[in-house]
Amino acid sequence: MLSAFGRAFRTPDLRRKLLFTLGIVTIFRLGAFIPAPGVSYNNVQQCLQLTKNNTSLQQMVNMFSGGALLQVSIFALGIMPYITASIIVQLLRVVIPRFQELYDEGASGQTKLTQYTRYLTIALGLLNATTLVSLARSGQLMQGCTVPLIPDSGIVTTILLIITLTAGTGLIMWMGELVTEKGIGNGMSLLIFTSIAAGFVPAMNGIIGAKGWGTFLAVLAVGLVTVALVVFVEQSQRRIPVQYAKRMVGRRTVGGTTTYIPIKVNMAGVIPVIFASSILYLPALIAQFNTPTDGSNIPDWVAWVNNNLTRGDHPLYMAVYFLLIIFFTYFYVSITFNPEEVSDNMKKYGGFIPGIRAGKPTADYLQYVLSRITLPGALYLGIVALIPLVALVLVQANQNFPFGGTSILIMVGVGLETVKQIDAQLQQRHYEGLLR
Amino acid sequence: MKSEVTVTETAASNAQGRPAKSSGKKNKKAGFFARIALFFRQMIGELKKVVTPTRSELINYTIVVLVFVAIVMLIVTLLDLLFGVGVGWVFGGSGPKES
Repeated sequence: MLSAFGRAFRTPDLRRKLLFTLGIVTIFRLGAFIPAPGVSYNNVQQCLQLTKNNTSLQQMVNMFSGGALLQVSIFALGIMPYITASIIVQLLRVVIPRFQELYDEGASGQTKLTQYTRYLTIALGLLNATTLVSLARSGQLMQGCTVPLIPDSGIVTTILLIITLTAGTGLIMWMGELVTEKGIGNGMSLLIFTSIAAGFVPAMNGIIGAKGWGTFLAVLAVGLVTVALVVFVEQSQRRIPVQYAKRMVGRRTVGGTTTYIPIKVNMAGVIPVIFASSILYLPALIAQFNTPTDGSNIPDWVAWVNNNLTRGDHPLYMAVYFLLIIFFTYFYVSITFNPEEVSDNMKKYGGFIPGIRAGKPTADYLQYVLSRITLPGALYLGIVALIPLVALVLVQANQNFPFGGTSILIMVGVGLETVKQIDAQLQQRHYEGLLR
Repeated sequence: MKSEVTVTETAASNAQGRPAKSSGKKNKKAGFFARIALFFRQMIGELKKVVTPTRSELINYTIVVLVFVAIVMLIVTLLDLLFGVGVGWVFGGSGPKES
């Protein structure tokens, strides 16, 4: 297999793509370290040292931005606004008929939708930047740290800071699209993968430092088992057989083949998890804004939210998280896989499922299988996403526990997708790929 | 065996598009919990038809993913070390400690 990795680098166009991706990743990491204008680097480092062991909510978001968020660097917002924007645009297809029309239109409509996604990204970036700056200014970004992150509190610095952070989001979005276009793999997922990978080594170091080698090895073993489990489920699919009728086109016989529609057990991928966690982040954020800074008494509902919804190890938090994941799994599958569309396409090309009539019965059958196969998928997603939270209780590890839940799902999903793409590129030149 | 029969029957009757009236009546007749039980039986029936990766496939994919993750982790960690030192060197010297 290692020789296959070597071969990947000896193939000229594949080498170019890999190096291009690597270059983008390098720029992405560099931007995560350069402090935004007006931010005091020394003070930020001091605060990071002080609050290293806090399991605050920001740590989770920090994981998605690869440590850039808490450093308030120019790429502090990371790829998250873009991901959120694209999910929202996809979800809006259900609500706004115009979006569905555009989606059905084909390539030109899709371009329009991409454009909307970009506008929305900038808007979300602006919103997030403002939130981040105000949190950093009031000292709530890293609680328990007294030195100011932004020493100059003038209006010009604040505006400059917000503009820089938003521009950083825009730049990341562009880099992600460049990777999709000219590099290898899906840019968006590859960048978030990079961010998560960046947090691994420090987190593992932290575990070794705090708990010793025994716990570290146990964590590693759990991680390995989880990876194998996730690979297993990601590769499982229900295959619905499809027959294509033989027909004559001109003087040739076309079709007459048997294929199948693969319905993956987990069709929604990692998106429900990302979405559920960002939704759950909202109440905590609102509560944080409504917490009085001058030390007067806290409103009841804020205290309630702080007690129940911000702590990852609280039963209510877990339950809500789990239910949200199941809901979003069903929701996302229902908008990405349209049984009617599939059955129409099959009818158009003379395909049918053996034993089921074409047209509406086929669509009904697909819906039947889909809704029954999605439930185990949703339960699996929910359980895997809860692993780090359970680990939090058992080992008292940090919340951004490296081997669990969201990060493992993203890791395996992106890893499989990217390796498969490299493999396909390799097989164009050699007979043997990475996967054999 | 009996449950198997029920499962296939329902799947087929759903799929073959019998008049909606009769199937609706049938659903109404069954109680809430009976319908949930039926759903779970059908779910297990579908799960039995799921094709899972073979042992060698699973091992192969797992190793590939782990190698990929390890490579990316290595690259990113090296970059982080480099940039961390570099940025500390550029910005660390003369920043204001207190304001």
